[in-house]
Amino acid sequence: MTRKIKKILIANRGEIAVRVMRACRDLDIKSVAVFSECDSTAFHVRIADEAYPIGPSPSNESYLVFDNIIEAARKSGADAIHPGYGFLSENSAFAKRCEEEGLVFIGPKPDTIALLGDKLQAREAARRAGLPLVPGEDIGDVTDTQAALAKAEEIGFPVLVKAAAGGGGKGMRVVNKAEDFEEALQRASSEAKSAFGDGRVFLERYLTHPRHVEIQIMADEHGNVIYLGERECSIQRRHQKVIEESPSPIMTPELRKKMGEAAVSIARETGYLNAGTVEFMVDQDLSFYFLEVNTRLQVEHPVTEMVTGLDLVKGQVYVAEGKELPYGQSDVKLRGHAIECRIYAEDPDSGFMPSTGTLSNYRQPAGPGVRVDAGVTIGSQIPIYYDPMVAKMVVWGSTREEAIGRCKRALEEYRIAGVKTTIGFHQTVLNNERFVAGDISTRFLEEEYPDNKYIVLDDETRRAAAMAVALDKFANERRITLGRRENQIPEQSRWVNVHRRLNLKRMGG
Amino acid sequence: MPQHYLVTIDEQEFDIEVEFVGEGYRVTVNGNEHLVRRFDMESVHSLMLVDHMSYEAFVRGNGEQGQRSVFMLGREIDAHIEDYNLAQLKKAAGMSGPGAVDTTVKAPMPGLVIDIKVSPGDTVSKGQALCIVEAMKMENVIKAPADGTVKAVPAKTGSSVEKGDVLIDIE
Repeated sequence: MTRKIKKILIANRGEIAVRVMRACRDLDIKSVAVFSECDSTAFHVRIADEAYPIGPSPSNESYLVFDNIIEAARKSGADAIHPGYGFLSENSAFAKRCEEEGLVFIGPKPDTIALLGDKLQAREAARRAGLPLVPGEDIGDVTDTQAALAKAEEIGFPVLVKAAAGGGGKGMRVVNKAEDFEEALQRASSEAKSAFGDGRVFLERYLTHPRHVEIQIMADEHGNVIYLGERECSIQRRHQKVIEESPSPIMTPELRKKMGEAAVSIARETGYLNAGTVEFMVDQDLSFYFLEVNTRLQVEHPVTEMVTGLDLVKGQVYVAEGKELPYGQSDVKLRGHAIECRIYAEDPDSGFMPSTGTLSNYRQPAGPGVRVDAGVTIGSQIPIYYDPMVAKMVVWGSTREEAIGRCKRALEEYRIAGVKTTIGFHQTVLNNERFVAGDISTRFLEEEYPDNKYIVLDDETRRAAAMAVALDKFANERRITLGRRENQIPEQSRWVNVHRRLNLKRMGG
Repeated sequence: MPQHYLVTIDEQEFDIEVEFVGEGYRVTVNGNEHLVRRFDMESVHSLMLVDHMSYEAFVRGNGEQGQRSVFMLGREIDAHIEDYNLAQLKKAAGMSGPGAVDTTVKAPMPGLVIDIKVSPGDTVSKGQALCIVEAMKMENVIKAPADGTVKAVPAKTGSSVEKGDVLIDIE
């Protein structure tokens, strides 16, 4: 059964809302934005065909409120909802609500989201589908601290505390020794509760030098499930990806086929529909373990788009319309190399603390092989309420070497002022010899930069900055002195004129 | 009239003299002379050609006297500027300039205080967790910058804080 989608409401903000709106326009579909109070003039609102307010700035009073979003869909006459990533994208109750309201939810079925969103159930599904699992699994529910500690000791430190409902590094902690366990458990659980409304956590053996490699999948209602290559996402801080690339420097055609087929089998096992990502950890001996399935479009999907030449968001809409995927497994050909740098409004040298404010200047790089998906423009605010990602800068090159070169060039062209960003951090990493050699793991940053110092200023830059400060002060002081001299006489005569006029009025003139 | 400044970046001092000459500025940095052409663009944005080397810079004051933020080459660089002679006088009088020890713990970003782990009178050691500020859905542990005794705790659990608000006062 196919249906034509004519208008899509995007239940999100920032760069991903803009990304989906662009696909809508490519497909000649109308797009509807929703916005909270602080987002009334946000970039995604300006790009959309229509826009509806959905409440106060905190996300639990706006972007996460089912009723407000459904009401906006009703008012606008949208026939489908794209959830983006984050917010309601992996909320099965919301997907179900859409179904009940007769709206197409662009994503998997509610039951699939619920099953794969529960990490414990997802592991069971992976086991049934024959996927290899991380050693030391099945720890289950953790509420009793003493019992949990006993379990952690049984698995052996370092141990990973993870939120059952988690994602994006929230509610996740690595614990290296028993003394730190209780604090980490509580932090992870309370973070999970505030982020997902579910405080359950579980434990996993922490592999010491794994790579994070994930497989993009796409499935339609006609039983077609394909994989679209991998993404290497090992460069992470606080368990959040910051640099992603495709292909992975360690990938071989044989390993890609094995991992791709594993991803397809868990998709079939769970009746998966639409775009999704099966995440794996790959050990140094190239053995791989199932991690989780993300039942949404990923932040880093553009690197796959760059190497496959396919538009994943368009693909999502086709599938949601009930159509057959326009390409099969044999049509998926990988070409060249793509790298994504996530540009966050954060201070890398202060443990990636969020940096909020107004972008007093914003200019994106351009030129051969460069794509920037941004959710901001000059003058945009970076509010405290949401994820501080400003943009994703993605580059393509015919080889990894060319891609790294272009990436460095593009970062140098980037101009952002008003908030601290991760641009300097990316420049440092892209010049790192181990990174250039492809010798990375999820522990890369802590190993290479143990004191969290990323921004290394060379003498020339420091001297130029000092000159900029001195010249700025000099120019300001000069402006003030000159200004005073020029304004002196006219200012007096203006007041004289005003007085004269007032006096004339008083005298009845 | 030439001006003489002392600019400090990462504890490195730059003795800078600036003089307006016809085609631009004569800038002498630690004794080395450069010719700089400087073009003002919108608000804090300028282009400098330092002996023809091109630099785009954004210079912002960040509240405190003499403190500046420079956005340049993808980095934000914190700098401090003062009058050179005044700085020398202060040094002679034993008053330290920018690097004075700050024992008030300020909010590094706007957010919500969700937990306070110390009370006035507590002895704390460097690196000890003082309080937790939630911003952008992440819980950030604010740690003691140095050993000391907690003098006051202006922060309150459940209250919002702005960047720079004093959370904990340590003596």
